[in-house]
Amino acid sequence: MGRVLIADDSETILLLMRTRLEMEGYEVVTAADGVEVLELMQRPGEPAPDILLLDAMMPRKSGIDALRELRAAGVQTPVLIVSAHQDEMDAGAATDVEVSGYITKPIDFDRLFACIAELTGPGPVT
Amino acid sequence: MLTGLAVVGVARFLQQRQDFENATARSYQVEIAARNRLAAGTHPDAARTAILAQQHKRQTLRDNIDGETRDTALLVGAGLIAGLTGAALLFSGLISSMRRPLEELVDASGRLAAGDLETRVKIGGLSETATLGAAFNEMAAELQRRAGERDQLETMKDEFVLTASHELRSPLTSVQGFAELLMLERDKLSSKQADTVEIILDNTRHLVRLLNDLLDLARSDAGRLTIKPSPTGVAPLVEDAVRTMRSQTEAARQTLHSEIEEDLPQVSVDRDRIRQVLVNLLTNAHEYSPEGATIAVAAARRNGAVEIAVSDNGPGMAEDQLEHIFERFTRGDAGLTQHVGGTGLGLAISKSLVELHGGTIGANSAPGHGSTFRVLLPAGQVAPGEPERVEA
Repeated sequence: MGRVLIADDSETILLLMRTRLEMEGYEVVTAADGVEVLELMQRPGEPAPDILLLDAMMPRKSGIDALRELRAAGVQTPVLIVSAHQDEMDAGAATDVEVSGYITKPIDFDRLFACIAELTGPGPVT
Repeated sequence: MLTGLAVVGVARFLQQRQDFENATARSYQVEIAARNRLAAGTHPDAARTAILAQQHKRQTLRDNIDGETRDTALLVGAGLIAGLTGAALLFSGLISSMRRPLEELVDASGRLAAGDLETRVKIGGLSETATLGAAFNEMAAELQRRAGERDQLETMKDEFVLTASHELRSPLTSVQGFAELLMLERDKLSSKQADTVEIILDNTRHLVRLLNDLLDLARSDAGRLTIKPSPTGVAPLVEDAVRTMRSQTEAARQTLHSEIEEDLPQVSVDRDRIRQVLVNLLTNAHEYSPEGATIAVAAARRNGAVEIAVSDNGPGMAEDQLEHIFERFTRGDAGLTQHVGGTGLGLAISKSLVELHGGTIGANSAPGHGSTFRVLLPAGQVAPGEPERVEA
């Protein structure tokens, strides 16, 4: 238990998040943009993640646009939107997409882990 | 024309007056000669007749000249009246031809001063008023052009700050994240390495604070700084801010105590934002006060408002410093700021935030006597007569 899909257009941030999440005992899948997120979610045989962490602004397809399409396709997995600042969150909140929560950059990992645990049940046993 | 007649009349009159005086003088000479003859006794009767004749002649001359004087005076009077009337008519025409354009200029100046930079006047009338009107229009056009340039620059600046803040946040996330990662394995680092990572982290956090503050100010300038107020108890708000500061003040062996009046009304505020203001004020008090100092937070009722005051017994400020304390990048004494970690933007943002809540912020201070910052927040919407709700 404890599979996390993270999407960010920065490889460095993907590496950082993967490292921290794996240290906490999560299994991590990464995507570089919203298009890749949708591909991963639809890939046959790919285990479904327990939670998605999507960067609000990404090239090709933003996290918010990807989320909108997932919700339209009936996917109910919890989604945390990661964004650089409040204005992006406000823009995301303005669209009536169901978001489980927002995380700002720089990431407060203690808060992030608390959010994930709250949304997916008790965290993985490390 | 009558004026011309008057001038001719006056000239003729002056000539007649001259003639009259000459004739009178001659008449006196003749009479004096006759009186001499009378005194000498030669032909006394003829002399007496001559004297009487001369006296009569002068009377006639005087009567004539008096008549002329009256006529001339009448003529001059008529001429003057006619001239003045003509001048008045001419002048009133001049005045009215100047008055309308001038009135229009006065109106337009008023509109321009009130901020209507599109205002222009119709150019016309006398050449002087036309010139004035053209100059006014040129000035208004120049003002409008500059205002446009300034607005454009302001927008560019706001956009720049928003974009820069976004672009800087990604690398900062990496720097802070990886430094934290290193700190998680602190026991594997030498103490020198651990200190180095600590410095990287401190500076990264400072950069993040600076970025957040700049972003808040840019939002405030662009009118995009928004608050989400909800009814909030004052006590939890103050206690939350105090709790956030506790570890820092304890590290400096400073005493931090709060005194919250009982039964305070609720305030309608954006909790995160007012907490940010209080933490700002407490951070200033902490950073500007020496080790072992006392910092006090007091919340009390003030008429229809709640006042939260943060006092310290730090070095205080002089009047001239106090005046500028809420301006950007203004900080206390430069000698002190060497070890002060603030961004110089905290009070400017605090002021914007408090004012967004319909409140006020102010400071009292004197050198050597510490400083007190007071935030006044309007009490929440409690109808008159309705008992005030108290946070449980």
